[in-house]
Amino acid sequence: MEKNEIKHLQKAKNILEARGISKHYGGIKALDDVDLVLRDGEVLAVVGDNGAGKSTLVKAITGAISRTSGTILFDGEEVRIDSPTDAKAVGIETVYQDLALVNEISITKNIFLGREIVKDNILGRVFGVLDFKKMDTETRDLFKKLDIRIADIYRDAQAFSGGQRQAVALSKTVLFGKRIAILDEPTAALGVRESKMAMDLVASLKDHGLSVIMITHNMQHVMNYCDRVMVLRLGRLVAVRDVKDVDGDTLVGLITGANKSKVA
Amino acid sequence: MTNTPKNSSTPNSSPTMTSTPNSSSTNWDAMKHQFMQIWQVLAALVLIYMVFFILSPPFRNIDTLLSIFGQASILAILACGTTVVLISGGLDLSVGSIFAVVGVVVGIALAEYELPVYAAVLIGLAVGTLLGAFNGIVQVVTGVPAFIVTLGGLTAYKGFAEILASGRDLSRFPDSFKVLGSGYLMPMIIMFGAALIIGLFLTKTRLGNHTFAIGGNEEVARLSGVKIAKSRIYYYMIGGLMAATAAILEVSKLNFAMPARGQSYELFAIAAVVIGGTSLFGGRGGVGKTIIGMLIMQTINVGLAYMGVGTSVQRIAIGAIIILAVYWDVSRRRSR
Ligand SMILES: Nc1ncnc2c1ncn2[C@@H]1O[C@H](COP(=O)(O)OP(=O)(O)O)[C@@H](O)[C@H]1O
Ligand SMILES: [Mg+2]
Repeated sequence: MEKNEIKHLQKAKNILEARGISKHYGGIKALDDVDLVLRDGEVLAVVGDNGAGKSTLVKAITGAISRTSGTILFDGEEVRIDSPTDAKAVGIETVYQDLALVNEISITKNIFLGREIVKDNILGRVFGVLDFKKMDTETRDLFKKLDIRIADIYRDAQAFSGGQRQAVALSKTVLFGKRIAILDEPTAALGVRESKMAMDLVASLKDHGLSVIMITHNMQHVMNYCDRVMVLRLGRLVAVRDVKDVDGDTLVGLITGANKSKVA
Repeated sequence: MTNTPKNSSTPNSSPTMTSTPNSSSTNWDAMKHQFMQIWQVLAALVLIYMVFFILSPPFRNIDTLLSIFGQASILAILACGTTVVLISGGLDLSVGSIFAVVGVVVGIALAEYELPVYAAVLIGLAVGTLLGAFNGIVQVVTGVPAFIVTLGGLTAYKGFAEILASGRDLSRFPDSFKVLGSGYLMPMIIMFGAALIIGLFLTKTRLGNHTFAIGGNEEVARLSGVKIAKSRIYYYMIGGLMAATAAILEVSKLNFAMPARGQSYELFAIAAVVIGGTSLFGGRGGVGKTIIGMLIMQTINVGLAYMGVGTSVQRIAIGAIIILAVYWDVSRRRSR
């Protein structure tokens, strides 16, 4: 009895557990039996060389692609996540690499894409007539809260800079991500100043009650913003470390395979 | 002719970075933006009209203007449906044949079964919508591209219409049915009504808004939780419904139905959509533009006819304009 309780407590601290995740494309093992544990309230970095399987891992966890094998536990309970909608339903909000916004629609419409607010009357309920006023207001409030300075929220997303677009994408995780934000290379293709802006936003996700998984190539970002780091190489998990126990050089060694290491 | 890239020419400088949101300008700017896009096509239409007005004395006549609207309206209704499908990144080559099937079905309902007009109309609309749904379902289930599925529909539905019509005399409809499509006024009213409804659908409703998202970037839309397959089926249903509406008006106007009607209408519709400035690549466009695009096409046809230019040359002119419009669209995308 007592033992069970302790076990339960330990489990509760892991908000997300992905066990034995594999994804095979024909003969290619893009992902091979990878375990991922995300603790409540932490920022977990996922690092690895190009093609290591980082994006595949994210997509396999959120149901964006089908898994060859693997199970997912949320708050210690096994959950079915077979589509991005399933992931959103349990409170996981994801910013996919290169697939964050639709260029052709406005900022407000991007924020609410797939989760539009309909008018609270017969038109809304029967015909799905949208409440743009409410969505605009919520978007403005959200940007104000996060100090994102975009006034032209009715403008097509394509008019904005990479940093602004990434800020918009990240803000969605605050608005909708009830528990977990997963970010696939949030600073890729951003300049130094924009990169800093984006990372400040990432850091603030914690304050909004989110646990974070962040894929990055930037070791400085791992050191400065993350609690733990997991390293993927050629589709396999090669190491999991507390950030305070590693330095940049060690990580680079793990990523390239220069120094062999057992999974911690 | 087509709308210029409003925001692509200056990608970095355009967004304002003010920290004080000015909520009062919200809808104004959006509306202004819409208007700016449409007025250029409108200006092109007026310009083309003026050219014929100057060049051809018989063109300077209110009846000419009315006949342009009259010829445009039935095709424009069909093209409104095509607009929805193209914005969603789809393609429907079968609407001309859906048009034929619906014409024949309504003809049979009226002439052979002597059903009341409203019943015949409802059956016609239902058949068009079902054939549209079939286009969508086949694509979604099999994954065969829109081009192939609706090309199959183009010939298959046509054959279907021929089988239904064979050995039947589909004419002499009741007077209450003839009211729908005769004269200029009714078709025009129905055209503007259809455009208004589809315009509201596209801009105000959830499913309508998803047209732009799916056509813009299907994968982002999917990852955002948009139900792609279901939405697509609805868009093809709208295409079928609009083809049916157009067919009913034409049968009423001609007072007979035959399976040869509707030939090439899908191409006229696509041409009008593209000339109006809706992107052939999906994600952008609107029905207002399509109406203007259709008026441009008909103005050129009627104008050239008044100047004694034969239909062959008219076809060449329209062909050139289509290529020009798509070139405009392509170069706009490249500049982004
Ligand atoms: N749809 C696919 N078909 C075949 N192979 C794929 C597909 N998607 C990814 N891969 C392969 O899986 C591996 C991991 O890719 P990815 O997860 O994108 O890497 P990372 O994000 O770490 O750069 C790569 O070798 C890639 O070529
Ligand atoms: Mg990647």
